[in-house]
Amino acid sequence: MRFEKEVEILAPREKVWNFIWDVDRFIACVPGCKEAKTVEAGKRYSATMVEKVGPFRVEFPTTIEVLETEELSRIKAQASGADNKIGSRMKIELNVHLREQDGKTMLGFVAGVDILGKLAALGHGIIKRKADQVLDEFAQAVKKQLEGDS
Amino acid sequence: MLRRFRLEEPETVREVSELLARFGESAKVYAGGTELLLAMKEGLVQYERLINVKKLTGLNEVKLDNGTAHIGALCTHRQLETAPVLQQRLPALMKLEKNVANVRVRQVGTLGGNLCFAEPHADPGILLMALGAKMVAEKSSSKREITAEAFFVDAYETCLEADEMLTEIQVPVPKAKSGVAYLKFGYLERPSVGVAVALTLSDDGKSVGDIKIAVGCAGPAPKSVPESEAILKGKSTDEAVHRLAEAGEVAGRAARAISDLHGSQEYKEHIVGVLLKRAFQNAVSQC
Repeated sequence: MRFEKEVEILAPREKVWNFIWDVDRFIACVPGCKEAKTVEAGKRYSATMVEKVGPFRVEFPTTIEVLETEELSRIKAQASGADNKIGSRMKIELNVHLREQDGKTMLGFVAGVDILGKLAALGHGIIKRKADQVLDEFAQAVKKQLEGDS
Repeated sequence: MLRRFRLEEPETVREVSELLARFGESAKVYAGGTELLLAMKEGLVQYERLINVKKLTGLNEVKLDNGTAHIGALCTHRQLETAPVLQQRLPALMKLEKNVANVRVRQVGTLGGNLCFAEPHADPGILLMALGAKMVAEKSSSKREITAEAFFVDAYETCLEADEMLTEIQVPVPKAKSGVAYLKFGYLERPSVGVAVALTLSDDGKSVGDIKIAVGCAGPAPKSVPESEAILKGKSTDEAVHRLAEAGEVAGRAARAISDLHGSQEYKEHIVGVLLKRAFQNAVSQC
């Protein structure tokens, strides 16, 4: 599944860039994300993703690896995790890009998400819809965090 | 493999509600089990306790009272497809029940269970919505009626409170000069689009007096489409037929269709329009 989202933030690019690397504040914006830890600053992080669709609940202990960075403009990362209880795996390839426009920052995400295992029985459509909701909530939370304290 | 669980066997709705309140998310109501047990066997959900409601009395009957069919939540699909009350007064619902899944599922699966599991591709909720049905939910201290529109919240989610149990479905019997049609499209037993139309013509039979339209299976949950109803309501049947394409487009968008292996969003929206047109004409022909 591929997801694309761009959000306009009324804040300079440096501020948005610094926010992304502030793990505690950034993770607070990801719905269902908890226990985020820095394993190796700028390179490796860990977190647990918890999501629920009706009675179905998944908990993915996730490793996030930063693959490439380009100061103030681009981050490429990969996240993967497995929920052994329900026998499912998740893999996300994430590209984050920032560009400045009239004093504002356009923060864009392109994510390729693969869900493997029994969770897929819920159906591609339902999982995609949930992921869309998570991405929307995340984008709004980032905007609120950055614009709220300017 | 099904993991170990404890089976509770309450004898009254009050006891069911108390068990639900006491054990919270670790317990689940179990009736036919056609969907719940599959999900448990797959390990997608785990419950420490199942509350077997099959032994509760009085919840597996269909009665007609004052123009309303009262369907006990524990009625199986098979029971409903053969119920004389439905055959005479709600043939569209009977026909739908006849086509739910397969005979093995219909033999044990209950209407209440189907509605409460709220699987997005389940279709009874769509027709019940167009028929103006109400769900009766009970808990230890109270009882309330919920419209079908309010009942379905999202995929696999209803508005039932944690300690509530669905006990009855009340379906108003269509009046004279009424027609009801439910049409679905899909692969094998799994509908990917479902459209229901329930309408009443004016006394002279020339215009659409009242109409209810509901769509489902394409999106996360059944949905009524008042915008499409408004396009057709009050119009002469000839004019309504000419405006079906417009009503179908509106209904397609309202279905909140999701692209998946059964078809793209655009394709499902188109099918909603096609089915709405056919269901409308079918319903009018019954009046």
